[in-house]
Parts: sequence; C-alpha cells; structure tokens
Amino acid sequence: MKKLLIIIFLFTLSVSCLIGSTAINPLDASPVERDILLSLRLPRVLFSAVIGAMLGLSGSVYQLTLKNPLADSFTTGAASSSALGAVLAIAFGLPLPLVPLTALITGLLGLMTVYRLSKTNGVINPVTMILAGVVMNIVASSVISFAKYFFEDSLSSIVFWLMGGFFVVDWSKLLLCTTVLVIAYLLFAGRALQLNLLALDEHSAQSLGVNVDRLRTIAFVGATALVAVAVSHTGIIGFVGLIVPHVARSLFGSDMKQNLFFSSLLGALLLILADTASRSIIPGGAELPVGIITSLLGGVFFLYLLQTRRERFWHG
Amino acid sequence: MAELLIENLNFRRGDFQLQLDHVKITPGEKVAILGENGSGKSTFLHLLSGMLLGHGEILYSGRDLHQIPVAERARLFSLLTQFSYLIFPFSVEEVVLFGRFPHTQGNSFSETDKELSEQQLKKLDLLHLRNRQFSQLSGGEKRRVMLARVLNQQAPIIYLDEPNASLDIRHTLEIFELLSNRDETVISPVHDINLAERFFERFLLLKQGSLLADVSREQLTPELLTETYDVQVTGGTAAFTFSQL
Repeated sequence: MKKLLIIIFLFTLSVSCLIGSTAINPLDASPVERDILLSLRLPRVLFSAVIGAMLGLSGSVYQLTLKNPLADSFTTGAASSSALGAVLAIAFGLPLPLVPLTALITGLLGLMTVYRLSKTNGVINPVTMILAGVVMNIVASSVISFAKYFFEDSLSSIVFWLMGGFFVVDWSKLLLCTTVLVIAYLLFAGRALQLNLLALDEHSAQSLGVNVDRLRTIAFVGATALVAVAVSHTGIIGFVGLIVPHVARSLFGSDMKQNLFFSSLLGALLLILADTASRSIIPGGAELPVGIITSLLGGVFFLYLLQTRRERFWHG
Repeated sequence: MAELLIENLNFRRGDFQLQLDHVKITPGEKVAILGENGSGKSTFLHLLSGMLLGHGEILYSGRDLHQIPVAERARLFSLLTQFSYLIFPFSVEEVVLFGRFPHTQGNSFSETDKELSEQQLKKLDLLHLRNRQFSQLSGGEKRRVMLARVLNQQAPIIYLDEPNASLDIRHTLEIFELLSNRDETVISPVHDINLAERFFERFLLLKQGSLLADVSREQLTPELLTETYDVQVTGGTAAFTFSQL
C-alpha cells in the first residue's frame, strides 16, 4: 500500500507536468514546449507538491497537539492570522524576506489566542476551538479589508497575493519552502514517539516522561512556521491540512511516525491534483485559484466529519 | 526502589486547602488513601506526581521532586489518572506499548519492549483485544488497558487514582490481587473500603484536606472510618457495613 501510494504520487507528479492549457507530449516536444515544461510546469508542480506537504504536515501536528480532528491551519485561525501579518508586511512595504517572518509572528499570536480561549481546566474543548477559529478568521479578514482600503498604494500587490495559488513560481521560492519543509519534518519525525503520547490526556503524557508544554510549544512553532511560509507564498489554501491526516490515519494507523510522512505525501498529492485541475478546468487557458478547489473539497469533508462525529464534538 | 518522604506539604485552591505535615512511605508498601469526595485524595496524588505544584517538600530517596527532570520521573513513578482518554484510533497493543516510552530514550520501541507489553496484555486478560481500537472498548476494558500501560512503565512507585472505576467485580478482584503481590510501592485512592482493607496494608485517612490518621490494617477501626466519612461504620476486619448516621 505504501509503495503503491508513492508510485501514484510520482506518476501524478510526472503527468501533471504534461497537462495544462497546452498538453505536452514529452517524446515529441518542441523547444518552446520543452521550455514551458522545464521553466514553468516543473517548478510549479514541484511547488504545489511542497506547499501541499507543508499544509498536510501542519494539519497532522495541529490535530494531535490540539486534540481536535477538525483542526488545521484554516480552522485554527493560524492561516488567516498569518495572512494578516503578510498583508500588513506588504502594506507597510517591508522587505520581501520579512513577509514570512511577520506572518509567523501573527500566525502564532492567532493560534495561541484560539488555544487559550478553547482550553478550560486543562482540557481543550473542540467546539470552542472551532468557534474561536471562526472569530479569528473574521477579525483577520476585517483587518485585511481595512488594509486594502487604507493602503491604496499596495492594493494591487495585496489583492494579487490574496488570490492565492501558484501563478508566479521560481526556483528560489521552491528552495526556501523545501528547506522549511525538510527542517520541520525532521523536527517532528525525531519526536514522533513523544507526539503519539500527546494523544493521551496531559497528565498521562507527562507521567510517561513527556515535557508536554515544551513539546506543544515546539509543535505550535514548527507547524505555524510551515503555515506562515506557505501562506506568505501562495495566500490561504484552506483545508488540505484537515483532509489528509484523516486519510493517512485510516490507511496507515494513528502512529505519528506514519502519519507525519503520509500526511505530507497525501498533502502533496492532493495539491498537485487540485492545481492541475485549477489550470485545466476552464477552457482557453484561464486559471482558477487553487484555494477554490481545496475549500470545496475541504468544506464537504468538514461536514462529513461533523456528521459522523457529532455526538463526540458536542459532548467535548 | 525509592523511599518517599513528604514534609509540610501545603496546597491551596480557592477555599480548599490540603495540608500534610509528615508522611514517609517505604519501598514496597501498599498504601490506600481513604476519604470522602473532595477530601483531597486526587489532589494529593497529583501533588506527589508533580502534576500540581504545592509548597513543602516531596522527596524521592532524598531528591526533591521538582529537581528531578520529567523524563527521569517517568522511571521513578507511574500514574493512572482518574479520567484518562485517548484521541484518534490507536490499537490496544499500541497504547500498552506507550508505557515503555520512558525506557526508549527517544529511540523506537525494542523487541524487549514489545515482549514486555505482551506480558502485560496477558496479565490483564487483554490479549484477545490487542488489535482492537482503544476507542471501541467498554469503560472497564479501557481502564484495564490504561492500567496495563501504567504497569508496563515498570516504575518502582505506582500511583493509581481509583483503579477499579468502571471495572466489574471479577476484574476488580484480579487487579487488586495482582497489585498486592507486586514488589512496587502502590499508592491509591480507593472508594471501596472493604476492598482497600483486604488488599492494602496502610491507610492514609483524609478529611477536608487534612490527614486524619495514618494507620496500619490492624489500626483501621470502625470509629476512625465513622469520623472519616461521617457515616456510622460497624463491623470488624472482614467487612464493614454502613448506614446513615
């Protein structure tokens, strides 16, 4: 099963490079087509894979550390508060490398606010968490709208960025995101056993030798760094991190050693497919922002989770 | 084996205050904590295990609890919480294996860890459930799995917060029998006084946050229990009976 999934991933990655407004036959490609393939399609497909892996990985970590199967970068408010930081950085004309850093700071502030609001007597209430996430999204959206209104000079940059997607991809962006992904993955994979224990109640986890506060801080910072860097480059792409950890769990069990890897792989696969659809679905070469497709899929999946686990949610 | 010494322990939360001046527990003792609801039994256990922070001294073989790193504490004592839960579908086998984490030092679980886990599954009559998802078990089965995880930790001191909650009488007796025959120190709040009297050898009686008495089995009298629970207790050492005052 694992090998099959890796083969499917590699096959999808290869084929999606050939699909788009112009289909390319690799065995009979003209010089222009070869240029499109190597300079545009390949970095774009790789970029969508890396962003998908970042969002999938962050979702896996959020769901476990927040003990909430509905948690991901979007529902926790981490993505929108990261977006807020990125928009403010763009609006104030900060140098480009500072945009992800600002996004990380506001993303962490947003996540911590949601976390504090949803925790009562040491227990995280999943319903409160989602409500706090909704409020965080609303607050971030309104501040972003204000920024668009107030900073007219930066309006076009902000709007273009907010549309999300993979319109402009270059190798340096790809390298930066890959580096962040690899560092975060190694950070989490090295603590997979400890992360498993966070599935227990906090006192049980601590009695097994886990420094719960420290591990949770590492998890929050690492996962939010993934979200902040992803959001800074592509805008908000919601729900990838919600869907894939569940699929990985149902296929390969809940052990975080497996879940971290397969959430990343499935996130990459999902976003490659969504991006390929977004640039192929409208005839004539127009593109849909990829977030529309992932939000549609994620929204349906969110409803499915609410329906199947309703009792458990309402009773905390 | 670790000796446990408690000196001038004080903890306050709202109107509630827990105060214990001096308690010394030697290795291997089986200590039941008795007292009515809200008398501080679970709070006491949480203070001993470092889950709550109080004033005073808690010394494990002379070392202050709060000077002992969290990872090292897990090799010193284990804890079965009153309301333990687990999110996401882990198997029974995986949950019991979690108990070996303090011995992995960050590496994967070894074959020895897996063999020891299997032994715990066997001891607690859980082998037939090993591949079942923890979330699909009954309350009593879940309790036994969590207890197997705690015993799998192989710490010299075991804290059990009402270990027989949700258990049927057969499994209750089996588990108390198992615990009473182990070498480790066992410290546990127990609600069933007859069970406590049968399987434990020392009793800490708490009343409104204070230590009313620290007695052996022979010294556990109906009068003391009457004072502890505010109910009329009669009977001898084999069984106590209770009625409203």
